[in-house]
Amino acid sequence: MTPDFLNTIEVILNGLMAGVMYSLVALGFVLIFKASGIFNYAQGVMALFAALTLVGFQTGQIPFAHLVNEIFGTQIHHWGPGMNNLIAILLTILVMVLFAWLVEKLVLKHLVNQEPIILFMATIGLAFFMEGVGDLMWGADLKTLDVGIPSGGSFWWEDVTRTWVSEGYEYYGMYIDLLDVWAAGIAVLLVTVLTLFSQYTKTGRALRAVADDHQAALTVGISLRSIWVIVWSIAGIVALVAGIMWGSKSGVQFSLSLIALKALPVLILGGFTSIPGAIVGGLIIGVGEKLFEFSIGPLVGGATENWFAYVLALFFLMFRPQGLFGERIIERV
Amino acid sequence: MFYRESGDFKTSYIQDQQIFPILQDRMFVAVVAAFAFLVVPFLINDYWEKSVLLPVLIWSLAAIGLNILTGYCGQVSLGTGGFMAVGAYASYKFTTAFPELNLFIVVLLSGGVTAMVGILFGLPSLRIKGFYLAVATLASQFFLVWLFNKVPWFYNYSASGQINAPERLIAGIAVTGPNAPPWATYLFCLTFVVVFALIAKNLTRGRFGRSWMAIRDMDIAAEIIGVAPLKAKLSAFSISSFYIGIAGALFFLVYLGAVEPTEAFGIDKSFLVLFMIIIGGLGSILGSFIGAAFMFLMPVLIKNILVNGLGWSPDIVAHLILMIVGGLIMFFLIVEPHGLAQLWRVAKEKLRLWPFPH
Amino acid sequence: MQDTVREDEILLEVRNVSLSFGGVKALEDISFDIRKGEVRAIIGPNGAGKSSMLNVINGFYHPQEGEIWFDGKLRHRMKPHQVAKLGIARTFQNIALFKGMSTLDNLMTGRYTRMHANLFAQMAWVGPAQREEIEHRQKVEEIIDFLKIQSIRKTPVGKLPYGMQKRVELGRALAAESKLLLLDEPMAGMNLEEKEDMCRFVLDVNEQFGTTIALIEHDMGVVMDISNRVVVLDYGKKLADGSPDEVRSNEEVIDAYLGVSHD
Repeated sequence: MTPDFLNTIEVILNGLMAGVMYSLVALGFVLIFKASGIFNYAQGVMALFAALTLVGFQTGQIPFAHLVNEIFGTQIHHWGPGMNNLIAILLTILVMVLFAWLVEKLVLKHLVNQEPIILFMATIGLAFFMEGVGDLMWGADLKTLDVGIPSGGSFWWEDVTRTWVSEGYEYYGMYIDLLDVWAAGIAVLLVTVLTLFSQYTKTGRALRAVADDHQAALTVGISLRSIWVIVWSIAGIVALVAGIMWGSKSGVQFSLSLIALKALPVLILGGFTSIPGAIVGGLIIGVGEKLFEFSIGPLVGGATENWFAYVLALFFLMFRPQGLFGERIIERV
Repeated sequence: MFYRESGDFKTSYIQDQQIFPILQDRMFVAVVAAFAFLVVPFLINDYWEKSVLLPVLIWSLAAIGLNILTGYCGQVSLGTGGFMAVGAYASYKFTTAFPELNLFIVVLLSGGVTAMVGILFGLPSLRIKGFYLAVATLASQFFLVWLFNKVPWFYNYSASGQINAPERLIAGIAVTGPNAPPWATYLFCLTFVVVFALIAKNLTRGRFGRSWMAIRDMDIAAEIIGVAPLKAKLSAFSISSFYIGIAGALFFLVYLGAVEPTEAFGIDKSFLVLFMIIIGGLGSILGSFIGAAFMFLMPVLIKNILVNGLGWSPDIVAHLILMIVGGLIMFFLIVEPHGLAQLWRVAKEKLRLWPFPH
Repeated sequence: MQDTVREDEILLEVRNVSLSFGGVKALEDISFDIRKGEVRAIIGPNGAGKSSMLNVINGFYHPQEGEIWFDGKLRHRMKPHQVAKLGIARTFQNIALFKGMSTLDNLMTGRYTRMHANLFAQMAWVGPAQREEIEHRQKVEEIIDFLKIQSIRKTPVGKLPYGMQKRVELGRALAAESKLLLLDEPMAGMNLEEKEDMCRFVLDVNEQFGTTIALIEHDMGVVMDISNRVVVLDYGKKLADGSPDEVRSNEEVIDAYLGVSHD
């Protein structure tokens, strides 16, 4: 195999890995959309918030320390040396559940029966609000997040692939980040758990019932409001997973919330209601944008990743508005 | 007690169709307009020009533009920043390629170019709705900003990648560039804003406005009544983009003077304008002004109090403002989706009945 | 019943129309006609394809087979807004008003196809746009008077009670001054008094303006009282067609309504 060919394979592989990361975020969107018809723009900020909280717990930060110092002139910052990873993760999950409950109580409850686009705009407001809260609570500086997931290039893979090149060429092997491989594994695990949960538990069945038909679910005695709390909690946990992966990769700070923007075209491709769609959509976008940047990027000045996903989604919308896995919409009068 | 309709009978449809049907309102508007055109230019200084008047005027224009598309026609767009960039770069190209061209014409042409681009990116709206469309408009936001960053022709191959507004005169007085006096830039912007606010009002209360609102409220019924969705949506996209393009051109030529696309026209600007119309009032021209003033001045005020007054760090105040903005958006969507403009109307309604509410 | 009907002149003819969604057949080989000036009722049990028939007539659905002739001409595949321009207006089973607009604006929107002021005239307002606006406002005020909805002229329709909304929706369809008016269950969900009012309006429209009307209605009493001819659909097929008396005595129709099987 020629180095060019191998390079292309490397780009595709890295695209797949990046795609998995997009899928992780898109998954949170799909869960909430299926259960409540809400397009939750705040999903990305939820990932940021979860990651910030996790780091805060890990390192023993005092919440709102900056704000308190500013108002009262005190000098507090940490309450102790921090805590064990597992406890920190469990506490963060608790915080995300509490957050879900608050969102339902303070926002969603008052917006029942509003048009989807109003709810969408409300979640944009929620995103801004949470970003402010998160930064005030834990500070806006760039933080490193390490929960013990291995990272860095895999030497084994480099050595293996180095031997694939045809004779007479010089080739140094492929680079693949261990963190990405772990992320892919965790994503697969997460999807499996979610599928099992929705198939085999009572709550899961209730979730699917609500997703099918709000009214009908209500008449058989499912409480819509507790379902919403559960779904937002699960989305919060998915956000935490995404936050951990993205945070470990590139640190925890504001830009983390922008992955939400990357997940939007993934949803358009995959359809808003399909979990497999979110996965496949993420992979297509991941591979597509990496390949495009690799082959066309140099000709047009690079940085095409900024827009490629959106333009791809745009073209896709023109031909198949319901997404790859979505159902065809028949309009009725 | 004197503010009321009773005794002020309408005897013709012309009177009934007036923008301000109540006499006191008309007098109030006349006084405000006279003050803005005849008094303010003599009082204005650099600070008021750059920190308050120009930005509020220009953002109002952008908000009117987005309100036509989102508030009246129901198509949510997150591409406002990108369209403002089109207006800015078009004005830059026109004014540098044709230095003799009158500035009024430059700004209008820039609006025209933006309208074309708006139609192009509005095409998907024929097939997709709601937040699908909102996501599609993000494509225009990111693609356009990237384009102006990467294609040197747009910034005349300047080394910094920035564009700078050259000095241009109207009737011998500089309106752009560093030497432009505050009253000139102010009057220039004010003229555009007043004329185009009036035009927007005329469009929204007539046949076009009704076709947009029909599409917004019930698109299928609108089509069956005879409103062609293609025409209604694309006209909303193009007119909305025209306004946003003019706002972008003024923003660059008159207000900032120098622009770098990612900084000046990022996605945060798209959200800012969207928030302006949500808080000011969806589907209200008056609301666009109130929303723009509120969203621009509120953070300035809070910063002034907390940073300059109490000495807090700007960082923390910025986060506080984020929280307040987000909270307000949710609050308004829950409590008053028609925004501050509606609160204003309700207050007037009360005043009209005062002091005998029953 | 009415003397507006011109026996020989046919306004709309449906010829062998079939419509299906995926594998589901909504309409199968349906043919019937509507004469100028008559009140034509389309009846049938739930799911018989009545609304689908209306949707085909105003171009919202496109039948796989069959032809539609309107005003003596074969109608080619058309979008709903083009059909509206030909002169077909309608109301909906579930009210489809423009909720954010006032009664007046809803009715003015009904006249959309008849207004032509261009963009620049609209921008300036004073001049042609204003003249046109006033001219059409007068027409709309006539309809407001006719339907006795003067008091809610400037109320946003979302705030009106159900019966009033139905009336405004009729007004919006009337504002178009169409040749053919399609009414999809205009009296559904109304109490007796409201129904009587609505019946009166329908008959008045037919008599005063000479508008041809096709309506779907479940209340048999109403159908028999106000319609000239009735077509009966069941499971997407035409079961019977004729005067109210003929249809009432038709064996198959009675069975379809009472659910008697003949296996």
